[in-house]
Amino acid sequence: MYGKQIDTLNLQISYDTKLDNATYDAIKAFQINTVNSGTSDLSDIVNSKIRDIEAAANSFFTSIGSSFNMVGYNSEILKEYVPALVFTMYDGFYIYSPFENTLDDETAQNLANNANAEYTDGQEVTGLKPYIYYSCRYKTASIDVVITYSLDNYITVQGTVNGGSTTINDAGYLINGVQDNGSTVTYRGITIGPEGQLTEYLDNQIYSYIKINGVKYYYDPSYSPQEDAWFRILNGQRVYRQGNIQLGSNDQAYRYYKEAAEFRQRLQSYGLLNLKPSDAVDINGNQLQGITDAEGNVVYDFVNSGTYNIFDYESGGVSIEEPTSNFNSHRMAVIRYVIESNLSVALSNYNTVDGLSYNFRMPKLAEEDWDKISSNVCLISFLQGLSIGGKMYNGYSVVNNNKNEEVVTEDSIYITTSDGYYHKATSQELVSATNMITGVFNIDFERKSIYETDAAGTQTIAYYYPKRELGCYNCYVSQTSNTVTNNIYEYMDSHPNVARIYYTALARERYSMYKVFRNPQEHLNSFIN
Amino acid sequence: MGDTWMMIIAFVLAAILMFGFPLMSMSDRSDDISQLTVTTATTEFVDNVRTTGKLTMDDYAALEQSIAATGNTYDIEMELQVLDENPGKKTTQADSTKIGENVYYSMYTSQILDTIAPSGGTKKVLTLKEGDWFSTTVRNTNTTLAQTLSNFFYTVTGNDTYVIAAQHGGYVTANGSGE
Repeated sequence: MYGKQIDTLNLQISYDTKLDNATYDAIKAFQINTVNSGTSDLSDIVNSKIRDIEAAANSFFTSIGSSFNMVGYNSEILKEYVPALVFTMYDGFYIYSPFENTLDDETAQNLANNANAEYTDGQEVTGLKPYIYYSCRYKTASIDVVITYSLDNYITVQGTVNGGSTTINDAGYLINGVQDNGSTVTYRGITIGPEGQLTEYLDNQIYSYIKINGVKYYYDPSYSPQEDAWFRILNGQRVYRQGNIQLGSNDQAYRYYKEAAEFRQRLQSYGLLNLKPSDAVDINGNQLQGITDAEGNVVYDFVNSGTYNIFDYESGGVSIEEPTSNFNSHRMAVIRYVIESNLSVALSNYNTVDGLSYNFRMPKLAEEDWDKISSNVCLISFLQGLSIGGKMYNGYSVVNNNKNEEVVTEDSIYITTSDGYYHKATSQELVSATNMITGVFNIDFERKSIYETDAAGTQTIAYYYPKRELGCYNCYVSQTSNTVTNNIYEYMDSHPNVARIYYTALARERYSMYKVFRNPQEHLNSFIN
Repeated sequence: MGDTWMMIIAFVLAAILMFGFPLMSMSDRSDDISQLTVTTATTEFVDNVRTTGKLTMDDYAALEQSIAATGNTYDIEMELQVLDENPGKKTTQADSTKIGENVYYSMYTSQILDTIAPSGGTKKVLTLKEGDWFSTTVRNTNTTLAQTLSNFFYTVTGNDTYVIAAQHGGYVTANGSGE
């Protein structure tokens, strides 16, 4: 009797660990693929993302299959027990799960006559379901908008204001206290302006570069004609583009703050600054209140959760971009609501897909897991319905992806110094340092690959580090000399010399990320002479 | 006279069978339960550190407390292998086609505890980074009742030093930050 219960609990623990490990393997595969995908082409960026996610899902099943082989499950059988893998992204998420492939009659007929057809009608296939945005609809007497949130302070607003007479479609960063001085801005008492041209290595040669809308363009001084000397890397090869990009200083940090200040004014003119959580409605226009879980406990109530304004740029001394702001708590609540409501439907629908007698149900995720989900790109994996003796296993695992091109988090900026090391922004060594050079996005320290052609015309893959600085032993490798803080903005207020470099880099990297909202060509043109 | 001796031997045997073995069996079960508690607590502790990238005195105290509830004393050994990617980077620069090798260096229990011991009333956090390796081994240091009994009955096999032991380890999957 005792032995049985102990076996059950031991199995549960070992399954939890196996699930964690498989989830981490999937994240690792995703990281390696995104860093090296090299197909960051404007038209291809979404496809390459989907391909990377599918590769990550495959490595999840390979990994979990190999660790479960010992107990007699292979990866094909385990697919039955994984009702969903959730890949959370910058402004929404993908659910990877099995579904019934429904074809129209004509296609089904055509495929039925084709001996080589891969798909049949009603067949169960595993794949990515359509992308779901972290969005919420708000409705008042004069406003009816949908706001899409993201993992940072970037929002997209679409809908009508002024009682339906004005249609808006706008996006921008929410930042408090930006003052535009023409070519520089003042932010939290710090003047931020254009910075020097950025440089990085491609194999063994150093190039000036600029990252625009998620694509890095390098300047080749030896190329002729000089006006077409900028190239990007596509599938490991150099692709030269026509037309020059501004060489010299990089003003993306300035543009980031300036555009955020302009966005604030536009939000004000739309009349959105007084929007409250209680204005949130579902697709039918009903208020989001009293939403209960299976046990009847109220889990979501946007009506009675506070009477603050969502877009309070400053309240009680807290700026909107700080982690403790009202905006952030509402943002996290929306992200959680969107994921939980969609996922619980996907999980319970899974019952109709598979032939198992187990009743699939969404487990309750811990608070700290929700914190992870709403602050960085994650993979949430579920494994349910395996018999572990006395009961059925129902577990999940959440693993953060710390190295991705989806989001620039506050933790992902490192600062280089002239002695050839890079440091965490909160390193105590930087406090009185005078040799700081620039802030760098963490994935630029990752190893990349490129095809090189030698004189004889043979192609080899060359591995290289774009930035050659080494991790500081005290603050990066062993992490013993960092100031631990929950609010980096407060930390920076008391360290203005670090703050200027840190905010410049954070702004530059956020501004140069790929944004769906932008018109890519127009955006690129704004950098062309 | 022979009968009396037989009686005494029968009583002793009966006593051993009726009290000794059930007691041994019960105390073994009790160790099983302690074993379960220790395994669960160790796994949870390590997995928590691995997935949050943080180790605090609170986490360590919670582990100590939940295993102490079994009524035994334990020795907790932690090992943190800190990933150092720098040597790999240097090699790669010498030959751009070569893949770098990573180096780990270790921190053990006493060094870890020194780092997370609160000082001056402030809590300290040991933050880990993705790619580090953390493991913990827990063993009992007292002699449990089951150990005493089995050492008494099975003296031939020699004394066990510990019967309750749990070990768990794995890669850290998150960069620790915050308090």
